[in-house]
Amino acid sequence: MSLLQLALKSISGNAFRNGVVSLCAVLISAFALFSTLVMRGAEDSLRLAIDRLGADIVVVPQGSEAKIESALLMGIPARFWMLQSNLSRIAAIPGVDVASPQLYLATLTGADCCSVSDMFMIAYDPASDFTIQPWLKQNLGEGLRMGEVVGGTYISATEGEQNIKVYGYLVTLKSNLEPTGTGLDQSMFLTFDTAYDIASKSATQAQSQLIIPPDSISAALVKVSPGTDPHEVAVRILQSVPGVTPIESSNLFQSYRRQMTGLLRSILVILSVTWGLSVVLIGLVFSMAANERRKELGVLRALGATRRFVFQSLLAEASILALFGGATGVALAGLAIFLFRNLIMVSLEIPFLLPSPVSLLLQLGAGLFLALFSVNLAALFPAFKISRQDPAIAMRE
Amino acid sequence: MNKTMGILMIVLALVIAIVPITTDCLAHGRMLTTAEGMQVPMKCHWTAIAEIGMAIPLALVGVFNFTSKRKETFRTLNLIGLGLGALVIAFPTVLIGVCANKMMPCNMIELPTLIMSGILVMGASLITLVTSNKMVEPVAA
Repeated sequence: MSLLQLALKSISGNAFRNGVVSLCAVLISAFALFSTLVMRGAEDSLRLAIDRLGADIVVVPQGSEAKIESALLMGIPARFWMLQSNLSRIAAIPGVDVASPQLYLATLTGADCCSVSDMFMIAYDPASDFTIQPWLKQNLGEGLRMGEVVGGTYISATEGEQNIKVYGYLVTLKSNLEPTGTGLDQSMFLTFDTAYDIASKSATQAQSQLIIPPDSISAALVKVSPGTDPHEVAVRILQSVPGVTPIESSNLFQSYRRQMTGLLRSILVILSVTWGLSVVLIGLVFSMAANERRKELGVLRALGATRRFVFQSLLAEASILALFGGATGVALAGLAIFLFRNLIMVSLEIPFLLPSPVSLLLQLGAGLFLALFSVNLAALFPAFKISRQDPAIAMRE
Repeated sequence: MNKTMGILMIVLALVIAIVPITTDCLAHGRMLTTAEGMQVPMKCHWTAIAEIGMAIPLALVGVFNFTSKRKETFRTLNLIGLGLGALVIAFPTVLIGVCANKMMPCNMIELPTLIMSGILVMGASLITLVTSNKMVEPVAA
């Protein structure tokens, strides 16, 4: 009888031990994979959101820093305004290559004149924009005309149509951006002309008028000249333009990063406690099972099996159970993450993006390895102890 | 093993019956307004109702899995279980569907719960089918 056959035979005869060990392996691997996927997904999503934004510095009115982060990351509509004249002052600052204005708007809540409630809308200036236009040119070959919009990945028109009603105005959805796992996925992008047209017609077409204060913008996106330090430019903006806050892209989403760090700490504590308890429990269960099988293992030794063979057969049992439990755990955690990703985003208030297939496979492998390592570590001492005992004593007891 | 899977199926049947009807858009006070101004429930609500109909036979499969002893009974029951699991997934994805907006409550809770439950039901049925095949029938006295 080979080592594997002996291990499989032993496993088939102990349902309690199999259940407990497999369950612990399920817990360890599922929890480890779940937390890794969530934290890495959030980090990837933040990075992609900053890349998609494409700006080195975002200038917003003083006191609106948290609002813009919530809007861009979670799609929570934000309304804040600053004077349009700030844009020319920012553009004139040495080191600023391009400064492009944006308007932040939102649809009405629960109104028939809007297809989607509380949708965050970003209006951009096609003449100076350097964030949306390059994507449009690359994917559509042209910019947006009057009445045309581009949606985040979750923005869809009514089935069979291409139009979305905004303040009673029918806009045409030209295309959808790729997913970022952030609020940008639930946002709509349109030109200044379309935004002003919607605002002017909303007085008669909508339940409530869309008001864009004259000579106002919500934010200015700044790209610094090549070779210039964005921090120096940000300091110059702060000194030259009163009432605004420049946020460097490296400092963007700091509150969410702090929230994620806190979450990561809690997850690590829970993971460590779960891992420690599981290893102790598996160790106890293996000790009990090994004690029950003293006679059986003694007979095996008396029949000529070496200590090494007994030791290896016990570790082989542990590995089979760990592989079974670990595979179940990673499969369940992977499926749960994939299916419930939007719920996780909303309830934990963090952005989230699924990893690439290669990264996912690596993380699945790591989860499985952790389960295998933990179960073998727990079974090591009982297996070593039982393999060292004298066969004559073991059979007599 | 078969008894454990029987209990799992009963629990899943409860999840399939209760979770959709309490997490659909109607439960969150959202309805569709027709051109005539009437308010009607959205697709996700009808999926939730259909799933209650699926949960009842599924619970029975679970109960019989728990009480049965014969190989043929397990085989028939779990083939039905496989079909029911597939239908649990098919209602919200193909047959009826849920709302289009991915951020609606039905899309965030109802749909993933039903897909996950359907997969688990199919998995439990498959495991019972395989293990019952190796079963030794009790000899009649």
